Amino acid sequence: MNRFKAILERDLRKFIRNPLVVAMSVLMPVIYLVILGNSFQGELKRLPVAVVDQDKGPGAEWVMERLSALEAGPRTVEVIRVSSQGFAMEALREGVFKGVVIIPPGFSRDLARGSLAEIGLFLDNAETIAAATVQSAIARAVSEPGMEFVSVREERAGARLRPIEIYGKIDYDQTLIPGVVIMAIFLGAMTTGAFNIVMDRFLGVEESYFLTPLTKSDIVVGLVASGLLITTIIAVVVLFFSSLISGIYLWRLLTIDGFLLMLAVIVLSTLGLQGLMFVIMGRLNHPRIVGILGGFMNVIFFFPSGAIYPTESFPAWLKAFAIVNPETYSVHALRALMFKGAGFGAVKGDMAFLAVFAVLAVIAGTAAFKREL
Amino acid sequence: MYAIETENLVKKYGGLTALDGVTLKIPEGDCFGLLGPNGAGKTTLIRILTTLIRPTSGMAKVAGFDVLKEKAGVRSAIGVVPQAMTSDLDLTGLEIMDIYARFYGMGKKERRERTDELLSMVGLRERAGDLIATYSGGMRRRLEIARGLVHRPSILILDEPTIGLDPQSRRVVWELLEKFRKGDNLTILLTTHYMEEAEYLSDHVAIIDYGRIVALDTVEGLKKAIPQKDTMELTVSNIDMAKAREAVSAHPSVGSVAVNEATLIISVDNGANAIPELVDKLRALNAKVTRVTLKEQTLEDVFIHFTGRPIREEEARKVSFLLGAGVPRQWGK
Repeated sequence: MNRFKAILERDLRKFIRNPLVVAMSVLMPVIYLVILGNSFQGELKRLPVAVVDQDKGPGAEWVMERLSALEAGPRTVEVIRVSSQGFAMEALREGVFKGVVIIPPGFSRDLARGSLAEIGLFLDNAETIAAATVQSAIARAVSEPGMEFVSVREERAGARLRPIEIYGKIDYDQTLIPGVVIMAIFLGAMTTGAFNIVMDRFLGVEESYFLTPLTKSDIVVGLVASGLLITTIIAVVVLFFSSLISGIYLWRLLTIDGFLLMLAVIVLSTLGLQGLMFVIMGRLNHPRIVGILGGFMNVIFFFPSGAIYPTESFPAWLKAFAIVNPETYSVHALRALMFKGAGFGAVKGDMAFLAVFAVLAVIAGTAAFKREL
Repeated sequence: MYAIETENLVKKYGGLTALDGVTLKIPEGDCFGLLGPNGAGKTTLIRILTTLIRPTSGMAKVAGFDVLKEKAGVRSAIGVVPQAMTSDLDLTGLEIMDIYARFYGMGKKERRERTDELLSMVGLRERAGDLIATYSGGMRRRLEIARGLVHRPSILILDEPTIGLDPQSRRVVWELLEKFRKGDNLTILLTTHYMEEAEYLSDHVAIIDYGRIVALDTVEGLKKAIPQKDTMELTVSNIDMAKAREAVSAHPSVGSVAVNEATLIISVDNGANAIPELVDKLRALNAKVTRVTLKEQTLEDVFIHFTGRPIREEEARKVSFLLGAGVPRQWGK
C-alpha cells in the first residue's frame, strides 16, 4: 500500500510542478468548446445567397419579402440583390455566394394564373452541408405562395407539425459540454498515468524503479491512481467552466445526487481510459509515438461517441464500434444527467458498461505492462 | 556464503551471445571491479544480477537469493546505481530519498533519520530541498549513491559510477564509496572504464571479453601474471653509452636495454626497487645521472594483454531502423 502511495505521490508532485501542463489540460478542452461551438453552431447561419430578380412583379416582391424574413428571423441566409445573372454565377463559382436564386421573367404571371411558377436555385454543392441548408431554407420560404391558393377546407384537413421540446431550451454549444468533458478526460488520460511510464523509459528513469521491490501492480495501480485523481479534477473543472461560459449554472441545474452521479461517470470513464492507455502505451518508449497515437485515438474515440452526431445515423460498421466505445456511454450518461434531470435508473446501464470496461482495461493494462527491460 | 555467485551464466539475444558461461564468486565485503570493452557483457551481467533481464541459462544468486526465483529477495538486498542518471528532475533530493525509502517499506522515523544521515554524508544536506534539475552531474551521482543505500543494502552495484564526471567529482565519488564500504561492511560490484578507478577501489578485478571472464585476480595478481616489465629511462652524462648499457644490463631485474642518445631505455621488473641499485652502478663508473623516469605497469597493460585492445568509453546503443531511438527495444539493432 505504502509503495503504490509513494508512486502516486511522486506523480502528483511532478504534475503540480508543471503548471503549464495543468493550465493546458483545463484550457484546451474549454477552448475546444468555444471553437467547435462557434464553427459547427448546430444550424448554419448567415450563408450568403444572391437573388437575381428578372421578374420585377408582385410575385417576385413577395419572394423577396419571404427571403428577407428568413434573413431577419433564423438568419440562415444573408440575401444580396444582384442585377446580373452572369455576375452572380461567377461569384457563386468563386465561393462568394453559397447559392444564387433566379426569379425568372413571368414568375408573377404564372403565380397569378395558378400555374406552376418556378424559381431557379443554383447551389455550390462542393460544400454539401451549406448547399443542403440553403436549399431547405429557400424551399421553406417559397413554399408559402402556394399556400395562398390552397383551399381553407384542404388546410383544415391537412396535418401540421408543432414541435414541442421536452427539455428546457438547450443551445448547441451547451449540447457539446458532455463531449468536451470526455475530451478533457481523454487528454488527461493521455498525459498522466501510462504516459509517465513512457517518459520515464525515454529519460532512463524507469530502470531505477525496476531495481526496487516495487511490483508490477504497485507501478500500474500507483500511476493509474495518480492519473485518475488528476484527470478527475481536470474534468470537473472543465465541466464547471464550460458550463459557465455556455450559460449554464451547474449549482442551479444539478442536485447533489445528480452531481455525484456525474462524478461517478467521470471517474469510471477516466479509469477505463487510463487502463486502455496502459494497454496501448505500456511498452512504448518514445513520447513522439504517444503524440501520434494520441491524435489518432482522440478522433477514433471522440467522433463516434455521439458527442456531436447521433450514433444512430452511423453506418453499421461505425455503429458497431460506437457500441464498444466507452466514450459513447460517458457522453450518453453525462447528457442525461445534465440536461434531462435523469437519476441513477436512467444511467445505470451506461455506468455498468463503464465499470466493466474500466476493470477489464486496468487488468489488461497491468498484464500488458512489462516490468523488465 | 558468497555475496554474488554465478555458475555458467549465458544470455543470448537471437544469434548474439552476450554472456557465454560466466562463473563468478564474489565474497562478502569485497569490492569487485568488472572491466571490459564495448559489448563485452558487463551491463548484461549487471542487469541479470539486478533482475532487470533473465538469463538464457545458468544460475545466479545475489545475497543467497536466486535471481529468477527470488526476485523480491534480490531487490531488497541490493542497492543499485545505474549508469544513466535516473533521478526525477522534477523532484527534490529529499523527496527522492523519501519516496525510494517507501518503496522498501521503511517507516517514517527511520526514513527521516536515514535520509538525513546519507544526505549529510554525500554533502547534499544543504541542497536537499532543491529540485534535482538544479544539481550538477557530480551532485546527482552522489544523490544516486545515497539513494542506492537508503534501505541499508548488503550489496551495492554500480554501473560506470563516475562516467561523464570531472576528475574532482570522480575523486569525491571514490572517497564516498570507500567511506560507505568501511562503514556499512558493503559488498561492492562495479563496472568501470577507468583503470585508475578499478585500481583505487577494487580488491578483485575481473576482465570480461566477448561474454567470458578472461582474467580474475587482485590488481597486483593480475599485474604479476603478465610478462611485460616496467619501463625506466635514465639520462646520463660523462660516460660512454656502450659501457653504461653493459653496466645496467648485468642487473638481474633488467630485461632489454635500448640507447637513445644520452638516455638508456630499460625494461625492468619491479622498477621502483631497481632504481637505486642501477643509479649506484652508473655512479661507480663516474657517470652523472641527470634524469630518472619510471613508467610502472598499469591495469591498462593488463587489460590490453588479456583482450588485445585498449578499452573504449562509449557503449553502442540500440536504435530502431524505423523510429530512431523510439519504441520497442526488440526492434533495435
